[in-house]
Amino acid sequence: MKDGEGFNLKLEKGRGGLTVHLSGPLTVDVRRAAWEDFPASDGQGQSLLVNLSGLSALDLNGSAQLLSAGAKSGQAGFKVEYGQAPQDLTAIFELAREALERAAAEPPAPVGFFEELGRKIKETQKDLVVLITFAGELMAELLRGFRRPSQIRWNSVLSVAEIAGVNAAPIVSLVSFLVGLIIAFQSAMALSQFGMTIYVADMVGIAVIRELGPLIAAIVLAGRSGSAFSAELGAMKAAEEVDAITTMGLSPVRELALPRVLASILTTPLITMIACFAGVFGGGLVLTAMDFSLLIYWQRAINFVSPATFYICVGKSFLFGLVVAAIGCQRGLAAGDGPGAVGQATTSGVVSNIVAIAVLDSLLAVLFYVWNI
Amino acid sequence: MSGTFDGQAPPVEVRDLTVAYGEAPPILEKINFRIRAGEIFGILGGSGSGKSSVLRNVIGLVRPRAGRVFIFGQDLWADDGGHLNDCRRCFGVMYQAGALFGSMNLLENVSMPMREFTDMSAEAIETAARLKLSLVGLSGYEYYMPARISGGMQKRAAIARALALDPGLIFLDEPSAGLDPITSAGLDQLIKTLAKNLGLAFGVVTHELGSVMNIVDRAILLDKEIKGIVAEGDPRELARRSEPPYVAAFFNRQSLEKAKGEGPAEGGSKRRPGRIE
Repeated sequence: MKDGEGFNLKLEKGRGGLTVHLSGPLTVDVRRAAWEDFPASDGQGQSLLVNLSGLSALDLNGSAQLLSAGAKSGQAGFKVEYGQAPQDLTAIFELAREALERAAAEPPAPVGFFEELGRKIKETQKDLVVLITFAGELMAELLRGFRRPSQIRWNSVLSVAEIAGVNAAPIVSLVSFLVGLIIAFQSAMALSQFGMTIYVADMVGIAVIRELGPLIAAIVLAGRSGSAFSAELGAMKAAEEVDAITTMGLSPVRELALPRVLASILTTPLITMIACFAGVFGGGLVLTAMDFSLLIYWQRAINFVSPATFYICVGKSFLFGLVVAAIGCQRGLAAGDGPGAVGQATTSGVVSNIVAIAVLDSLLAVLFYVWNI
Repeated sequence: MSGTFDGQAPPVEVRDLTVAYGEAPPILEKINFRIRAGEIFGILGGSGSGKSSVLRNVIGLVRPRAGRVFIFGQDLWADDGGHLNDCRRCFGVMYQAGALFGSMNLLENVSMPMREFTDMSAEAIETAARLKLSLVGLSGYEYYMPARISGGMQKRAAIARALALDPGLIFLDEPSAGLDPITSAGLDQLIKTLAKNLGLAFGVVTHELGSVMNIVDRAILLDKEIKGIVAEGDPRELARRSEPPYVAAFFNRQSLEKAKGEGPAEGGSKRRPGRIE
């Protein structure tokens, strides 16, 4: 006999089969241990009668526990029969039985692997079409903006440039400064063994200006400003503001994305310059600590950077600025409905941006190598 | 029903409840009402009348500025410890938009409270969750994610989740909001069936008159002007009243001016410029 919160289960063996007597309240509070004696193996066609007459209370979860145990016994080969429940409990037990019979008649359709794969492929395909459409629309709007600059909402551009660009300068500077410092310190440790510590200046100059400055600026902007664009536009989409713009006959890309993209294109090169300066300065601090003159360090670092390297830096920063803002805006405008959509759009924007920046930077590195720049 | 403290006490008793947010003046002052076992009780009122705020006080999301809320005879705010959560387990809530967990399928949504608060076996929990989804007409949708089903189905699934721990009381926040008339009528029928078959008490916050007349046994009507209950009783009876004017206006879909007998004559207009009623 088991006792679970007043509930009792008693198993009785008779000639014709087994009888389980249930008594007390069979409710949600009954513990799983109370069912240990319920026959669940070696049925071999025996009958199993469940006597419900001793029950004092019954709810849906109690009924579910009983019917679940009964189903298990049925699978083990018992012929399960349920006796009459007390009059006031019959209705709820019958309700539970009927509901489960209906559920068994309409078995759930678990989503299969291939169905899920197909859906993902279709979603990716749809995503790609939306992305290409957005890119085309954005390029058209940019060209239109260059032809008629007066039609661009410059107030919005300046406002976004301040919030998303200028305000990002301190964090970009800090990260770049620390990266420059770390590179200089690590390389100085190795080069000092050969008496070539001063070459750290050349190394930091080329690494920061050609690669790390644009990269750090782009990644920080992706995390800070790109995500903000996704969240802002995603929230506007969820609040149907984007639909309102569309039904007014305006283009959401022109009204919402273009000012952000322009602001990003204009501010990213400046932010990148600040990042480069901070990075080179960080390296300089290390060499100063090693008794080198900051002026000599600075001259070497700058002299080693060719005009081509500088143009590459500026070109990359324009491109990264365009990509960061465009992807951020696209993810926001493509956000779904509901409160969770804004979070998804933001995450998707940041992840897509960082992947895009890494891929783009790698491609450019290969191209510049091939072109011998 | 399980999860009730005292079988004799009414599912809900609200005494001198004053509803307010922060330091702002109260929205409602000293309101009293009682939800009886097995009845569908309506908390009605116009936009901004404070009906959703009353619900948030009654379900323990917001501490009332004054007054007491008893759930099955237990004072909801008797202490700040686990008592509140014990009380909360005695009722289920269906939120306006369903509030299903988007990362879980329907079966997992309904199973979650059982996994957390009962010692039922995994098979029994699954059986119970299927049973409840079947009761609300969602057999076959167990593995669907909430985003893949319609708004009406989401509300049905939310009711199934509210039933998870077999409470004796369920609160519904605007059950008809955002639903078409046919889906809304189906949901009304489901609420009536559950109340009848399971003996559940329902507290329904709504301003949908169609639903009110269809399912609600007894209701209170809140008025923001008097900061309290302006009428209480069978909504079909209340709809026949011509006094007070706010009650007549609410149940007959009239402007307050018309209910007061100050309304525009046919073809004319007495509305003051710039004022929208």
